[in-house]
Amino acid sequence: MTALLDIKSLTIDIARDNGPARVVDGIDLTVAEGESLGVVGESGCGKSLTMLSLMGLLPNKIKATGGSAHFAGRDLLRLSPKELRKVRGAEIGFIFQDPMTSLNPVMRIGDQIVEALVYQKAMAKPAAMQRAGELLELVGIPSPRDRLMAYPHELSGGMRQRVMIAIGLAGNPRLLIADEPTTALDVTIQAQIVDLVRELKDRLKMSVVWITHDLALIAGLADRIAVLYAGTVVEDAPVDVIFDRPSHPYTRGLLASLPTLAGKAMDRLPSIGGTPPEPGRRPPGCPFAPRCSLAMPACNDALPKLAPVPGSDPRHRVACFVTTEKGAA
Amino acid sequence: MSAVVEDKPNSLWRDAWRRLRRNKLAVAGLIIIAALVFVAAFGPWLTPYDFLSQDLDARNLAPSLAHPFGTDDLGRDVLSRLIYGARTAFLVAVIVTLVALLIGVVLGAIAGFYGGFFDKALMWVTDMTMSVPQLLLVVVINASLKQPITLWMEARYMETMNPIYRNSALIDFVLVFGSMALISWPPYARLVRAQVLSIRNRPYVTAARALGLTNRIILMRYVMPNAMGSLIVAVSAGLGTAMVLESAFSFLGIGVNPPTPSWGNMISDGLRVWTNYPHLLLAPAAVLAVVTVAFNFLGDGLNDALNPKGQK
Ligand SMILES: Nc1ncnc2c1ncn2[C@@H]1O[C@H](COP(=O)(O)OP(=O)(O)OP(=O)(O)O)[C@@H](O)[C@H]1O
Ligand SMILES: [Mg+2]
Repeated sequence: MTALLDIKSLTIDIARDNGPARVVDGIDLTVAEGESLGVVGESGCGKSLTMLSLMGLLPNKIKATGGSAHFAGRDLLRLSPKELRKVRGAEIGFIFQDPMTSLNPVMRIGDQIVEALVYQKAMAKPAAMQRAGELLELVGIPSPRDRLMAYPHELSGGMRQRVMIAIGLAGNPRLLIADEPTTALDVTIQAQIVDLVRELKDRLKMSVVWITHDLALIAGLADRIAVLYAGTVVEDAPVDVIFDRPSHPYTRGLLASLPTLAGKAMDRLPSIGGTPPEPGRRPPGCPFAPRCSLAMPACNDALPKLAPVPGSDPRHRVACFVTTEKGAA
Repeated sequence: MSAVVEDKPNSLWRDAWRRLRRNKLAVAGLIIIAALVFVAAFGPWLTPYDFLSQDLDARNLAPSLAHPFGTDDLGRDVLSRLIYGARTAFLVAVIVTLVALLIGVVLGAIAGFYGGFFDKALMWVTDMTMSVPQLLLVVVINASLKQPITLWMEARYMETMNPIYRNSALIDFVLVFGSMALISWPPYARLVRAQVLSIRNRPYVTAARALGLTNRIILMRYVMPNAMGSLIVAVSAGLGTAMVLESAFSFLGIGVNPPTPSWGNMISDGLRVWTNYPHLLLAPAAVLAVVTVAFNFLGDGLNDALNPKGQK
């Protein structure tokens, strides 16, 4: 499998009054052609910033300071603003968390899709409007042609997220990045959106990166899952391996906190005490060590690197001294 | 959140219009302003008398059936002059507001959206302009520019023999419009800048960037339209302010020159004789007050209609 997206040792810093604070601390991620990657982690661990940095959309004062992010052969971190603009939408589509605020409130749905088509595909307006109707149909919006004339506030949250997906797909991107696209939606609608994206991914042969808090939700969508903790990847494995043989104590904690009955997720991490370290205040060793029941003295001294898990799937990698040493012993 | 589509398209403005209509004061303001626009537009066909025609046998008459607001010290019909004054007031207010708006929107939008040195420079200029008393600024501008412009026009006339350069009313208008626009644009620029600063970080703007749209498109189609609501409110209030400003200038003798009727001129003339002929002061002052209040009511109503609570 060739990697479509290959992020290596990415670091992102926030400029603060007392110097830069590191939020993303050497992330390694790959997404193969046609693969879907689930990215899981607690709030604030740097999931969104990592994805925004690929698109050159980091907020003021936040910068990608190191590493590389190759997409289809080019390092996105080193493209000029103009080159990067051509990648956005046309090669990488993005779906945001909050469908309520991610659509322009004073523009008709149809016009917002047309905008994308006109600027990315150099389509003429009438053809673009036609295509916009087809896209709405593709994402399962009933009577799509009437909806083209609607304003965002006339649609429900689920419908708006479908519109966002239609806009994200307008440029025929090879990679679709979805940043917690269902967090703001009802549980039943969440499942519908997941199904929709899975179906579209197969039909359009896209790669997908799906960011979430909710392991259970993407179990049915992702081929592979990367678990992030405090700005680093702590475990990365095919989805069934993550569920059957989780290695990292943090991943195990995440899985243990999943509700056993299908239903509303409870508090995010009832079984892991403590909170992740603040950006810029990370210990020299493993960032999870202070919360880890298995931590050894060595865990506080050096940062564990992602390494294959002995005896597991060859694609199963974990950044944990406890697991790798125990396996080696 | 329901999936019901209860309105036809354009419901955005239609909703605002519905909210505005429910506000009695705003509707009253709107009606008064509409009447003013009508009077200003059709003034020449509405006035019972020519605003210039003097009737020296009928000077300083109290209100009567023939002259509903009486006559002034030259025997001119006050109602007719008020109607022509509405033309002046409206013309000045609209042109000044449009010019100020154009300058303010362009500079404010660029400063807010791109930031940097231009933004700092703009803030500095607006701070300066807004910290000097407005009337003082206008007096200085008028005093320092009137002479050179007059001389220049004179010279142009001698060169070209084009009678347009002999029109002294033109100088007045250019100076009045120019100096009023000059002191009126900074508040618009600051408002637009503040709006753009807050809107450019909204999720739908980030989403538009993620689509690869250019800065220009994002500014024109995603940022500015969402600043419209506040701008409309500001313009409504600004038109009222511009009318008062025009009257204030005329009152001080730096506005449009007599005999062109202006409410400010009439107030200033009326003030000299108000102990004997109070109607000469009361009529123009009352009209000015009513119109100003009407604009304020409409502005408040628009504010509530365009920015209802619970909606950003
Ligand atoms: N605009 C910003 N200014 C300052 N700090 C920020 C900004 N955006 C994010 N951060 C900080 O960067 C860290 C990572 O943020 P990020 O949004 O990537 O987290 P996340 O993993 O996406 O979390 P969530 O699940 O809540 O979306 C957080 O600690 C956050 O406080
Ligand atoms: Mg996030």
